[in-house]
Amino acid sequence: MKKPSPALRRRSRNTENRKGVVQMPGSLSTLKAPTLKALCAALALLFVVAQPASAQLSFKPTAEAVQEDKLLNALKEGDKISGRITIPDTNAANLIQPAGRDWRDFHRSKLPVIGGIAILGMLALLAIFLMVRGRIRPESGFSGTKILRFASFERFTHWLTASCFIVLALSGLNISFGRILILPLFGADAFATMSGYAKIAHDYLAFPFMLGVLIMFLIWIKDNIPGKIDWQWLKQGGGIVSKGSHPPAKRFNAGQKGIFWIVIIGGTLMSLSGWYMLFPYLPANVTELQFWTVIHAVIAMLFIAAMLAHIYIGSIGMEGAFDAMGTGEVDLNWAKEHHSLWVEEEQAKGHAPAAGGSHAMPAE
Amino acid sequence: MARVKFLCDADRCIECNACVTACKNEHEVPWGINRRRVVTINDGKPGERSVSMACMHCTDAPCAAVCPVSCFYTTADGVVLHSKDLCIGCGYCFYACPFGAPQYPKVGNFGSRGKMDKCTYCAGGPEADSTPAEYAKYGANRLAEGKLPICAEMCSTKSLLAGDGAIIAEIYKERVMKRGYGSGMWRWKTAYADSPTG
Amino acid sequence: MKVFIAAVVFAVIAAFVASFVLSGVQMASYTAFTTSGARVGDPGNNLVGPG
Repeated sequence: MKKPSPALRRRSRNTENRKGVVQMPGSLSTLKAPTLKALCAALALLFVVAQPASAQLSFKPTAEAVQEDKLLNALKEGDKISGRITIPDTNAANLIQPAGRDWRDFHRSKLPVIGGIAILGMLALLAIFLMVRGRIRPESGFSGTKILRFASFERFTHWLTASCFIVLALSGLNISFGRILILPLFGADAFATMSGYAKIAHDYLAFPFMLGVLIMFLIWIKDNIPGKIDWQWLKQGGGIVSKGSHPPAKRFNAGQKGIFWIVIIGGTLMSLSGWYMLFPYLPANVTELQFWTVIHAVIAMLFIAAMLAHIYIGSIGMEGAFDAMGTGEVDLNWAKEHHSLWVEEEQAKGHAPAAGGSHAMPAE
Repeated sequence: MARVKFLCDADRCIECNACVTACKNEHEVPWGINRRRVVTINDGKPGERSVSMACMHCTDAPCAAVCPVSCFYTTADGVVLHSKDLCIGCGYCFYACPFGAPQYPKVGNFGSRGKMDKCTYCAGGPEADSTPAEYAKYGANRLAEGKLPICAEMCSTKSLLAGDGAIIAEIYKERVMKRGYGSGMWRWKTAYADSPTG
Repeated sequence: MKVFIAAVVFAVIAAFVASFVLSGVQMASYTAFTTSGARVGDPGNNLVGPG
């Protein structure tokens, strides 16, 4: 290549040196003084030699780098892999939460089994009981004389809680089973619309339900403390199995006390777990939220099964029982057979008529 | 038919959040909804790694399995989408998702949290492709135009890969071989149980 | 019967009251997650619908 004339030679830093070799700017060879060059080279060498021995090994990022496998294997039950984020929502810090898989398994495999056995099993038991034992009737027939069992406020509280419970139970069962049982019948759009309304009803009727459970607790706790009589009552099977057996009971027999405590404890657990689901940012993280949904689902199934038995005995299972919550007044003979001690107490207080005869009105 | 997946090469991710910004811009995602986010593990310590995280469009999607109204569906490409018309906003998909991908417009009240929103692999939703109605509900539909998700397109280091699962797995393996290390195909084992290695 | 009707009516009214109280407590994500570094006006309705 023809060398350019000296006048046209570019005066950039990338200039050919005297020997015609192009150099990079800043290279040592541009230094003119040989001693200065040697000095700089020696200094550079010193830096290399002075490094600690470990730095001379090749950099191994894998030794300290996070490995997904290692992190996953180190996770304990319910733990999550999480890191740092720039988003204010702390939920976003979770990278992997394997517990979601277990939650999914539970809700789609185990819960239907629990619910199916509890609810269908209870229905089957009740059907068998009705067939075998039949409707329980008062042996000495109805006397025609009434005794006040539940005041208006008590009946109001019961029906408040009960009607809310029915809607809550049905809308809740729709969430768990609707997709399997109802969706195929009505198609996706209709089912989703219905589920939307069911969910709204579920969210908001929960509040009157909670109020009802609270009032029930306050007005009936004193009559529902377990006692020795309850044990006797239970030992005789509550008189429910064989005719002619009427173990004494006070205002509430052992079976009713059982229902009371199931409602109070079950209702409280449902309310608490439901509260956490209503306010999903209340629990610390998604793992705690999953725990509460499991509680809510399992208790719901057992609760519904227990209430089916309660509804049965209070409606068709026992003649004369419904009046207690329907009108508030029950037949005296019925009361004597099933709650003999309570009748005696009421008669002693003057709230109830003596056997047969006059239709005494209760003082309250 | 291609089965599309996401792969985030944590060794390349520099936490620039270009993927997040691109997604937010493309779909006009409102503040508070985080379709895609970058999570940094061991921040500040040696071996710090960042992973770009969004819906992985799992093979056996847990969100689809637990939805009470069955509003999810998987397209032929393997993209997991859902219908906001059917969604009742109950939040179950969020409890089941291993990655926390579902997002909600409101923070309280089981069921009035609004419709769930999540990464759609830039594939829109059940509405007609590339219509304003679809954009208003689900964002842009790039897949219908033959394009890949914008997050992967915008990744500054090409750490976030999107496309046919086999191809991107191959790309990652080549990288691992060439450089001699790799922190793993993050979340593949959890999301794509059928083919965790591509 | 009267008591039952009264109970149902009360339940429905209580549910309505609860819905108002809960809507008052409800927060949009963009309000709940505002930080000092980023205060957001109305972020628009895309993807989330009105309201």
